[in-house]
Amino acid sequence: MTTRRTMLAGLAAAAILPRRGWAAVGAPAYLAAGRRPDGSHALHGLGADGAVVFAVPLPDRGHAAAAHPDRPVAVAFARRPGTFGVALDCRDGRVLARLTPPPGRQFNGHGAFSADGARLYTSEVVAEGSAGRIGVWDAEAGFQRIGEWDSGGIGPHDLRRDAAGRLVVANGGIQTDPTDRTPLNLDRMRPNLTVLDETGAILSLRELPGDLAQNSIRHLALLPQGAAFAMQWQGDAADPVPLLGIAPPDGALTLCPCPEADAFAMQGYAGSVAADADGRIVVTSPRGGVAMIFAADGTHRATLRRADLCGAAPAPQGGFTLTDGGGAVWAADEGGLRLLARHDLAWDNHLIALESARGT
Amino acid sequence: MAGFAVIRALALALLMATPASADVAEAVGDVILPAYDRLADATADLDRTAQADCAPQALHPGFAAVWDAWAAIDFLRIGPVEQDGRALAISFWPDPKASGPRAQQALIDAAAPAVDDPAAFADLSVAVRGLSGLERLVYPSPLTGDADYLCRLRRATAADLARMAAEVRAEWDGYAARLLEPGGPGNTDFLTQTEARAALFTQVATGLTALADKRLGRPLGSFDAPRPERAEAVASGRSLANVTRSLTGLRDMALALYPDAPRTRAAFDRAIGLAERLDDPVFAGVADPSGRLKVEILQQAVQAARAEAEVEIGGGLGLSVGFNAQDGD
Repeated sequence: MTTRRTMLAGLAAAAILPRRGWAAVGAPAYLAAGRRPDGSHALHGLGADGAVVFAVPLPDRGHAAAAHPDRPVAVAFARRPGTFGVALDCRDGRVLARLTPPPGRQFNGHGAFSADGARLYTSEVVAEGSAGRIGVWDAEAGFQRIGEWDSGGIGPHDLRRDAAGRLVVANGGIQTDPTDRTPLNLDRMRPNLTVLDETGAILSLRELPGDLAQNSIRHLALLPQGAAFAMQWQGDAADPVPLLGIAPPDGALTLCPCPEADAFAMQGYAGSVAADADGRIVVTSPRGGVAMIFAADGTHRATLRRADLCGAAPAPQGGFTLTDGGGAVWAADEGGLRLLARHDLAWDNHLIALESARGT
Repeated sequence: MAGFAVIRALALALLMATPASADVAEAVGDVILPAYDRLADATADLDRTAQADCAPQALHPGFAAVWDAWAAIDFLRIGPVEQDGRALAISFWPDPKASGPRAQQALIDAAAPAVDDPAAFADLSVAVRGLSGLERLVYPSPLTGDADYLCRLRRATAADLARMAAEVRAEWDGYAARLLEPGGPGNTDFLTQTEARAALFTQVATGLTALADKRLGRPLGSFDAPRPERAEAVASGRSLANVTRSLTGLRDMALALYPDAPRTRAAFDRAIGLAERLDDPVFAGVADPSGRLKVEILQQAVQAARAEAEVEIGGGLGLSVGFNAQDGD
C-alpha cells in the first residue's frame, strides 16, 4: 500500500537516481570513443573540463554512442556498415548486451534512447538496397529487439529523439554496397529529413531542392525549435554548396551558406553538428580542419581552424566543446578555440552530450 | 628580406636547440618562406609593370612569373593563405559555373568604381580577382568593354595580387613561429612537434592528390567524355607548366621534411620527368587515345609519389594522415 511517506520517498529517489546513475562514473558531461596509442579502442566519459572520468574497452573502432538518460549505460555503435552494437555498464565496462541486427539488416552508426530510457532506437539499413529502418529495442529487457520502422528514406545515419519523444532521422539518401561503403546511386540519390512519432508513424518528410539532391543529410542537432542538419556534398567538389541546414518545426528546410571566402574550407564535408541551448550551431569538418559557428538564425559567425576537428557538443556552461584526432578537447565559441585538455588518444567522430549534464 | 632572415635565424636556433625540429625548420626556412618571398616579389613586379603599361602584351611575362611562383607553393593550404579566402582569390579555379567571367563582365558593364579603390576591390568576389581574373584580361577571353576601364581593371587586379602576396608573406612570420614552437602559450594550431610535422606532411599528401584529381583529373574527365576545355589556365597556355612547377614545389617540401627518402625522391623525379617530356601544354591531347594515355601515365606517377611519400616519409616521421579526415562518415 502506498503511503504518503513511501510515495514521497519514491519521488525523491526518482529525482535523485538519474544524477546518481551517471554520478557513479564521475558525472561525465560527454561520451566519446577514442583510439589508444596501442591501437585499441575505448569509450570514454569526459567531464565538462575535458578530463577523462572513465574509460571502458570497445571491440573495434566506434563511431557514435547513445547514452541512457538515467543509468550509466551506453550503447556504442560500430562504423558503417555496422557489425556490432554493444551496451556497456560504464561503471566497470561490463558488457550488458551485444546488439546484433536481424538477418539482412546493418547498423548505420547512430542510436538514441527514448526519454524514459525504456527503448533504444538504432539507425539501420536493409543490406540489399539500403532502405532505411529504425530498429526498436527493449532497454529494460536486455536489449531485446521488439520491432522496426521504416525510416522514410535510403541510408539513414544520425537520429535524435526530441523533447516531445519524436524521432528526427537523417536519411542520407546514399545506397551502399552491403560489404563496404561503395556508393551505388550518387546520380539519383534523394536525401531527406524525416520526423517519426513514438509509434513510428511518419509525421513529416522533407527534401532539399532538386539541385541539392546530392547533398547527403547525415548528422543532426536538436534546436530549441526544430533541428539543425549537417550534410556531405557528393556533387562536383568545385561547386561548393551549403553544408548546414535548419529544419524548422514546420515548413521547408532552410540552408545556411557561409561566406564565399570560406566556401571551400570544409571541402564539401561536414563531420558533426551541435547546437547550444540558445540555438547557436557549430558544424565541423575534419577534412578541412575547420569548425564553423553559426548564429541561431543560421548566419555564419566564425570559422575556427584546427587539424582533424570532428567531435562537437554543447558545453554545459554555454558555447561548445570540440574534440580532434590529435587527442585535444577544446572550448569553442565565436572568439576562437581554448584548449581544455589533451589526451594521448585519437578522438573519434562524435562527442555525445549527456542529457543529465545539460544546464537544467 | 629581413623577415625571412629573422625566421631563418629562429629556425636555425631551434634546429640547434632541439634537433627533432629540424624537419619543420627546414621546410619553413628552405621551402615555404623562400616560395612566398618569390611570390611577393613576382606580384610586386607585375604590379609595377601594370601601373606603367597596362597593355595586355606588356603583362604576359609578369603574369607567367607570378604563376611560376604561385604554382610552386599553392599546394600549401594552411596558415595565412586560408585567411579571407586568399588562396581562392589568388587563383579561382576550377570554376565550373563560370561565375568568374560572368561577375567580371558585370563589373565591366557597370563600370564599378571598385577598380579605383583597393579596399573595395579586395572585397569583390574571389571569382573575379587574382590570376584567373587577370588571365581573362590579358589573354583572349569573351570579356568585352571600354578600353580605359579594362586597363584600370588590369591594374587593380595586379595591385590586389601584390597586396595579398605581401600580406601572406608578412603573416607567415607569426605562423612560422607557431609551427616551430608547438605547445606555446595560445598556440591552438600546433600542440606538439608531431602535429606541426603532420600538418606539413598532410599538405604534401593532399597536394599530390589534388594535383592528380584536379589539374590532371579535370581535363582527363572519363575515357568516353574527355574534357580538355576544363584544364587550368588554358588561355595562357600554362596547364602543364603549372603541373611541373607544383610537382617541383611538392618534391622540395617533401624532401625538406625528410631528406632520407630515396624512393620518394625517385617517384617525384619520375613524375617531373614525365611532365617535362610531355609535349601537350594545355592537355588538348586528352581527347585522343594516345595523348590521353600519356596524361594518365603522368597522373599515375603523381599518385605513386604520394604512395611512396606516405610510406617513407609519413612512416619515417611516425605520422598518419587525419584519423577523422580519412574516415568519411
